[in-house]
Amino acid sequence: MLNNIEWLVPSDDKVKLGGEDSEIVVSSRTRIARNITDIPFEIKMKTDDSIRLVKLVRSVIGENIKGKYLDIQKISPLEKESLLECHFISPAFLDIDKPAGLFILDKGNISIMINEEDHLRIQGLSYGLNLTNISSEVFDLEEKIGEDLAYAFNETYGYLTSCPTNLGSGLRASVLLHLPALVFTNEVEKVLKGAVQIGMAVRGLYGEGSEIKGGLFQISNQHTLGLKEEDLIESIVKLTHMIMDIEKKARNVIFTKARYEFEDKIFRSLAVLKSARIISTDEVLNLLSAVRFGIGTGVIKDITLGVINEIMLVSRPANIQLYFGEVLEEHERDVRRAEYIRKRLSGKSKITKSK
Amino acid sequence: MLCDDCKKKPATIFFKEVLPEEVVELHLCEECAHKRGLIMTKKMLPIEILQRLLREKSVEDEKIICSVCYLSLAEFKRRGRFGCSNCISTFEPYIKNLIKQIHRSDKHVGRQAKLGPKKGFEVFKLREQLKKALEKESYEEAAEIRDKLKTFEVDNAE
Ligand SMILES: [Zn+2]
Ligand SMILES: [Zn+2]
Repeated sequence: MLNNIEWLVPSDDKVKLGGEDSEIVVSSRTRIARNITDIPFEIKMKTDDSIRLVKLVRSVIGENIKGKYLDIQKISPLEKESLLECHFISPAFLDIDKPAGLFILDKGNISIMINEEDHLRIQGLSYGLNLTNISSEVFDLEEKIGEDLAYAFNETYGYLTSCPTNLGSGLRASVLLHLPALVFTNEVEKVLKGAVQIGMAVRGLYGEGSEIKGGLFQISNQHTLGLKEEDLIESIVKLTHMIMDIEKKARNVIFTKARYEFEDKIFRSLAVLKSARIISTDEVLNLLSAVRFGIGTGVIKDITLGVINEIMLVSRPANIQLYFGEVLEEHERDVRRAEYIRKRLSGKSKITKSK
Repeated sequence: MLCDDCKKKPATIFFKEVLPEEVVELHLCEECAHKRGLIMTKKMLPIEILQRLLREKSVEDEKIICSVCYLSLAEFKRRGRFGCSNCISTFEPYIKNLIKQIHRSDKHVGRQAKLGPKKGFEVFKLREQLKKALEKESYEEAAEIRDKLKTFEVDNAE
């Protein structure tokens, strides 16, 4: 079905570039969990209930919203991996064995998982610091669906979810931050500890552990009860601005101290990306961090963040296979990944539209 | 050396803080250090707090059962998940504190779900009616309700 990754990657450079400060704030994400009153929740669902849920939601969505529907049970493991890498599905959907679906809106920035841990997981992603806008788009959609479906709701505990940790707003909002200067000056732990103190969860990208790759950190809210959605989003945006300021100051400091050393590191990283013949996902992530830093600080002028965002996405293990339309072993993937990046950075290859 | 807080587990984390008037030295086990929020990357997430709180069990738990989905409080504690939208009303007295500890709040203040005739509810009502009709053995009525229920089903075909 997904013989080409094209439709998963925003083709519009404006979308890929994102909103304000899209170098430090790589992306903004929002997810809301909803359940339907009269259908049992995950642990009590029978196959009949799953079928009913999927049909019901599809009928409601089909009437109102334009997009692409995927039957999760019918698509291949590789395609699922790719959807995960693009943040359209959660790891739980990888080996799901009940009727479930994914709806991706035409614009490509919002998707709905049907029958994950909650009946509905409505989620939006935008590049740059765009949390407020993407959240209101997600809430608009949630309201639209809520006109036809009765969400499970309780006066005291708000929207009812499968897991008690999501009760209330069912909202998880997050930003992905690129903080190379704070990593370099060893201040990042101190700064992020402050975020944890005010109720945020912090983690390195693409891993549950504490390992940090490419200077990327995700900040998200931990609590869903007792805070208005708008206030929560605003507090994350505020915090993000604060961290951005500290990162910018750290950049000034290190550039005053060792400008040539940093320019050297940036251009060497770019050179490796432009000429490597074998390259792993982890290495790409680290080199991209340096190039991203170079773009943000004005050292690199002829590459856009849109290209960097695209390479970050397409380089992932499953995506790179879909890009070439072939199943590839690890070593072969590393070779083809290097090939793709070389072409992309020399400006020769854009993702081509499959019909 | 044993942990200063729980005095049970061996202390593995040593923490020294210089306050204006005193120097505080703590020797803690990992769990107690987390409780104090001393380790950033390992601070307990809500899901971890939940798992810890659910370990407190009582013999009564098997007897407290949701009247809609038949989930018992005991099973809720084993799995950490609700079974339906009615569970919370049944379990509330027993899990009030748990929710408060997870969220540092016990009341939703955000968006409100709009009420009104919706598909989720209609199906619910129709199913109840169907059950009653079948209990009364009025099969004609049951057939009518089944027809209505069918209108909520949509073909799966692409
Ligand atoms: Zn202890
Ligand atoms: Zn229940």
